[in-house]
Amino acid sequence: MAGFATKRLGKELSKINSNSLPPGIELVSADNFEEWFLDIRVLDNNPLYLNQIYRLKFRFSAQYPIEPPEVTFVKLADRPIPIHPHIYSNGIICLDLLGQQGWSPVQNVESVCMSLQSMLTGNSKNERPAGDEEFVRANRLRPKDIDFYYDDNNV
Amino acid sequence: MSKSQQLREEGNRHFQKGDYVRAEALYSQALIVDPSNPLLYTNRAMSRLRLSLWDSAITDCEACLRLSPDNLKAHYYLSQAHLALHAYSDALEHATRAHRLCVAAEDKSLSNVTAQILRCKKEKWDHEEKRRRRETAELEKEWDDKIKKMREVFEKARVNREKRREVPEWAVDDITFGFMVDPVITKTGKSYERAAILEHLRRSQTDPLTRAPLKPSDLRPNLDLKQACDEFLKENGWAADW
Repeated sequence: MAGFATKRLGKELSKINSNSLPPGIELVSADNFEEWFLDIRVLDNNPLYLNQIYRLKFRFSAQYPIEPPEVTFVKLADRPIPIHPHIYSNGIICLDLLGQQGWSPVQNVESVCMSLQSMLTGNSKNERPAGDEEFVRANRLRPKDIDFYYDDNNV
Repeated sequence: MSKSQQLREEGNRHFQKGDYVRAEALYSQALIVDPSNPLLYTNRAMSRLRLSLWDSAITDCEACLRLSPDNLKAHYYLSQAHLALHAYSDALEHATRAHRLCVAAEDKSLSNVTAQILRCKKEKWDHEEKRRRRETAELEKEWDDKIKKMREVFEKARVNREKRREVPEWAVDDITFGFMVDPVITKTGKSYERAAILEHLRRSQTDPLTRAPLKPSDLRPNLDLKQACDEFLKENGWAADW
């Protein structure tokens, strides 16, 4: 079914513009229906993320929301990659709801941001995923094609 | 002394005493005898002014002016009578003529005539001011009413416009965010647009909410919701492409 993505993203955008996003989530740019940028920050005093803002990049395929968006953190001068056992230092996120299996078309940009926000809020481990260096050096796959093994659902 | 002269002087005496009714009657008798004496007309006009008989005072003054067009007193009394009848322009015109004659004749009644001119102007202004105020008030009220009505119209339009934008959540498919045309219900009780959920099931046979297994054959049409959507769309055609 063609045109899904454009129509759906247009509606998400107009909803965001009229209702605004939840606290801690801000739309940075949505200039087209392929790539959006949003900033998120945690709302509590978790020392790992205190006073930090993180930049998220959403990439949408023409099959969105049947297919999940590709969501990664982006590193900028004032936007680090948050430390987390499921976030690689290149910004790639290992989160089941963003994967082929875990994704559901009832998710949306706002709900994904909220999930990531709570993923950070709930974390207390000051560490990267196992094999981060190796993964960052060797990985050439798109995030959605990486077959993550979700070994720890408590993080 | 002529008969009319006698009657006139008797009238003057009564006038001085303040008996204007008798004075007026005596001047009238004098005029029967001598109808072409301008003086008798102004005398009687004066009595009639005191008796507030404005119209007949005017008649006397006009009769006098026919005999003696530049009669100062006739113009002066005429002005007073017109003023009493709120004929401000006429009152002012005759006061002005009386004034001109007064100046020319260096008459001692100049200050009275001047005062009359002022009175005419003031009463004229007062009257117009009253009318202006009334008109202003009426205009103000009229426009207040119109503005109020306009506000109501705009308010109503605004409410309608805002109502227009509200697409009820129950009619919107959570996958496409589009208005549902053919809603189907899953085992969880949640409804989706048939085309959208089938598209999802082609990729993953899971319930979008619970991720429990879900097959196309598990879907059932949601007829009541379909009818509700149809009816809403009939009333709100714009919602088809909100």
